[in-house]
Amino acid sequence: MEEMIDNTQVLEEDTQKGRFLTFSLDKESYGIEIKYVTEIIGLQEITEVPELPDYIKGIINLRGKIIPVMDIRLRFKKSEKEYNDRTCVIVLEVQDISIGIIVDTVSEVLTIPEEDIVEPPQMNTNYKNRYIKNIGKVASEVKLLIDCEKLLTEDEMEELNESL
Amino acid sequence: MSGTYSNEPMLDMFIFETSQLIEQLEQIILASEKETGFNSHAINDIFRIMHTIKGSSAMMMFNDISTVSHAIEDIFYFLREENPENIDCSKLSDLVLEAVDYIKDEVDKIKAGEDTSNNPSELIETLKEFLANLKSENKSISLEIKEQPKEKPQYYISPDKTASNNYKHTYKAVIYFDEGCEMENIRAYTIIHNIKDITSDYHFFPMDIIDNDESCEVIRKEGFQIYFKTDKSYEEMHEFFMQTIFLRDLELTELEDDEYKKIAETKETEVEEIKVLSSEPIKVPKLDDEEKIVIDKSRQTAISSQSFISVSVTKLDQLMDLVGEMVVAEAMVIQNPDLQGLELDNFQKAARQLNKITNEIQDVVMSIRMVALSATFLKMHRIVRDMSRKLNKEVELEIIGEDTEVDKNIIEHISDPLMHLVRNAIDHGIEPRKERLAKAKEAKGTVTLEAKNAGNDVLVMVKDDGRGLDKSKIYKKAKEKGLVFKNEDEMTDREIFNLILVPGFSTKANVSEFSGRGVGMDVVARNIESVGGSIIVDSQLDKGTIITMKIPLTLAIIDGMIIKVGKSSYTIPTISIKESFRPKQEDIITDPDGREMIMVRGQCYPILRLHNFYKIHTDVTSFTDGIFIMVEEDEKSLCIFVDELLGQQQVVVKALPNYIQKYRKIKGLAGCTLLGDGSISLILDVGELIKL
Amino acid sequence: MKRILIVDDAAFMRLAIRKALEKNNFEVVGEAANGLEAVKKYIELKPDAVTLDITMEEMTGIDALRVILRSDPNAKVIMISAMGQEAMVREALINGAKSFIVKPFKDEQVIKVLNQVLEM
Repeated sequence: MEEMIDNTQVLEEDTQKGRFLTFSLDKESYGIEIKYVTEIIGLQEITEVPELPDYIKGIINLRGKIIPVMDIRLRFKKSEKEYNDRTCVIVLEVQDISIGIIVDTVSEVLTIPEEDIVEPPQMNTNYKNRYIKNIGKVASEVKLLIDCEKLLTEDEMEELNESL
Repeated sequence: MSGTYSNEPMLDMFIFETSQLIEQLEQIILASEKETGFNSHAINDIFRIMHTIKGSSAMMMFNDISTVSHAIEDIFYFLREENPENIDCSKLSDLVLEAVDYIKDEVDKIKAGEDTSNNPSELIETLKEFLANLKSENKSISLEIKEQPKEKPQYYISPDKTASNNYKHTYKAVIYFDEGCEMENIRAYTIIHNIKDITSDYHFFPMDIIDNDESCEVIRKEGFQIYFKTDKSYEEMHEFFMQTIFLRDLELTELEDDEYKKIAETKETEVEEIKVLSSEPIKVPKLDDEEKIVIDKSRQTAISSQSFISVSVTKLDQLMDLVGEMVVAEAMVIQNPDLQGLELDNFQKAARQLNKITNEIQDVVMSIRMVALSATFLKMHRIVRDMSRKLNKEVELEIIGEDTEVDKNIIEHISDPLMHLVRNAIDHGIEPRKERLAKAKEAKGTVTLEAKNAGNDVLVMVKDDGRGLDKSKIYKKAKEKGLVFKNEDEMTDREIFNLILVPGFSTKANVSEFSGRGVGMDVVARNIESVGGSIIVDSQLDKGTIITMKIPLTLAIIDGMIIKVGKSSYTIPTISIKESFRPKQEDIITDPDGREMIMVRGQCYPILRLHNFYKIHTDVTSFTDGIFIMVEEDEKSLCIFVDELLGQQQVVVKALPNYIQKYRKIKGLAGCTLLGDGSISLILDVGELIKL
Repeated sequence: MKRILIVDDAAFMRLAIRKALEKNNFEVVGEAANGLEAVKKYIELKPDAVTLDITMEEMTGIDALRVILRSDPNAKVIMISAMGQEAMVREALINGAKSFIVKPFKDEQVIKVLNQVLEM
């Protein structure tokens, strides 16, 4: 039963390594590992769902599949901005969760070599940096590389802190 | 859905089939226990089941499962072949059940994608010991012969030595088999079996290729050697050997006659025992008899074996989804706004036909997913057995209506609650023997599982004839824990009994091994509610308790009323809607606490403003601008205030996305659905809204 | 394409053999879950070869083998056996089985035996 070991996935992940989808929020530029990104779509009609945090705008119909959408500006505690025709939804799949991330606009796909990726400075443990896994250097610019798993899972802690 | 584990169909099949077999096995053991012994049928079945599991698990390289099943297979092989008289049946049952549990556990782990590292060596030792004891206690002559110490591999001398000299050629062949082809001795035997057609003068080494497993090792290492004389040419013989299956290597050399003699003689002196390999005549039963058997048996099995196939649940789910989409698409076509106001007689006719067919397809697909509760019920036998043994209570399990069918998805959700209820019934319900006798009850307690259809619901009941629930005790306890605010005499019996379903309530101070485990009735209730069901508790002191689970037949497609609040659309299951109406302002009452109520035909109903409840922005806030929908469940009613009704249609119930479910359970929402125009509507959980 | 009938009481085993065969350009013309069904399917489908499990309900592989060979003396039957069934394998061979495979097997073993048996 040697066939059971699926090599293709390993290979695929290899070619995706070090590749990031970048987008800008205000002055900062962020990157998401391409392996989590399944597609980028334009903004769609969002159905609001009650009792959710403000950054979860609701759910959308992605060709018959219903997924939640998160406004990354609100997630990062930035001011809300009205959506326009440049607004995009980046569809991520992290573990078994599908979710759309609403961003102002996407920039490009970049390859950042491993040696140009460093850990974020430790001293700065404020809110925004909680979801930043690494920092990538591209020419003179800095890309904040998002920790997708934390982005989707670290709600309870936050909830707790808010209710205290 | 448990579709999260590997998509590998082999693994799925393994898990599916092994689980089924294990369940079967468990039933056989329990049935045998009742009969106080294993009949030959049971022994055969157990042997076959273990044999199958052994093979499959070895293929999947789950070696621990394979070894455990092998050990049991060995025991039942012995039972089958030797028919011993002294068997400790109860111990054997325990052992097999232990193995059943082990395999179940491992399969669960495989299903969950976890490591299957539980070492079964202790269990295997016990099983082997059991077999050894069994053998020594039931020594028979045939066994003693089998167990004689094996001689070292010997040469075999062909029975007919006199006819040898007439052959023209003498050869030596050494045959090597492929690594891992297994049973090399039998493969060697195949060659000897075939060579008999060519010559009667042959010797081979190792000789004991039938009963001695060690010969395998020798053949693997040194090859299988044959010395023989024949009239055939080298080429012919080469071709003969090349036909050998799993042949890795062949050394065929022609020998001088002297050399052959020498070998034949020396070998002969070494031989201590000559076994005569008679080419036994093939025993073919008389044709007539056998054909009769074939025909007889075919009558019995033709239907059962040919008309069923197994289909993976994932495929069924896909089919269900597709049918759902189809229903929506159909609505999109038939109710298309482009058609509005047109006179389309033929179109309408065709549309009705289409509608009829889609409805039928839907019914059929639904029925495919329906599974009888019998398997779930049968599982309870084991629990009753284990519990009554450990608690030393005599309990009989009675099963009624196990043919009742429910959706496959629902079965998965009620299995655990049911188990818990049965445990509770035995642990807390059924009294110890003495107490029962003192109450003039039969010494043996009875737990009854019953299922029956009731409209769109299935009722599953767990009944016991035990001590029943003590109303005032329950009330006192609930009061102490601050779970109740009304006075006892203001509450109906049912209301009081239902307190045991409230989180934080647990009637027993001493948590026993079985019912304890940190799971209370509230978890059971929540499980059932998660599939849209509910629980009703009835009890009579010293007579017993009945816990009824009311479960919807299916979850997948419902008739829904689509409503609008602000910009959002919600769906209310039509089945729970009593009526919708526009209120008159004078019917609205507001009580001193600000609670709004409405009078309808002299009855007073509470009002739920959906926009307030979910904080939805809408301009329709005055009752006279919107509309009321009166919903009812469990004899309780509520009037939901919404902006407007959009229409009625069948909707496919979809779960809310994982991410949201993980985040929190949203009060009053059962799921969501896609409407004809592709927009999303949230489905309200009426039962939950009423309870608020 | 050679047409094969698979006989095994375990659906898992049938799937395992089917996968091995289909990957290697054999056509699986049918499956049977017991000896009786095997005989009926053999007569109905006339496959080029049969893989036949030994331990089965209704009619064991050995009995099925006998009946199949009586209906078609040239039938190419390969027994699927498990460790510890040496005696039964031998009985099958005496009764005319062409060869056998021992569980757990590898795909290539099944293919190799089939190819060789089909050439006979």
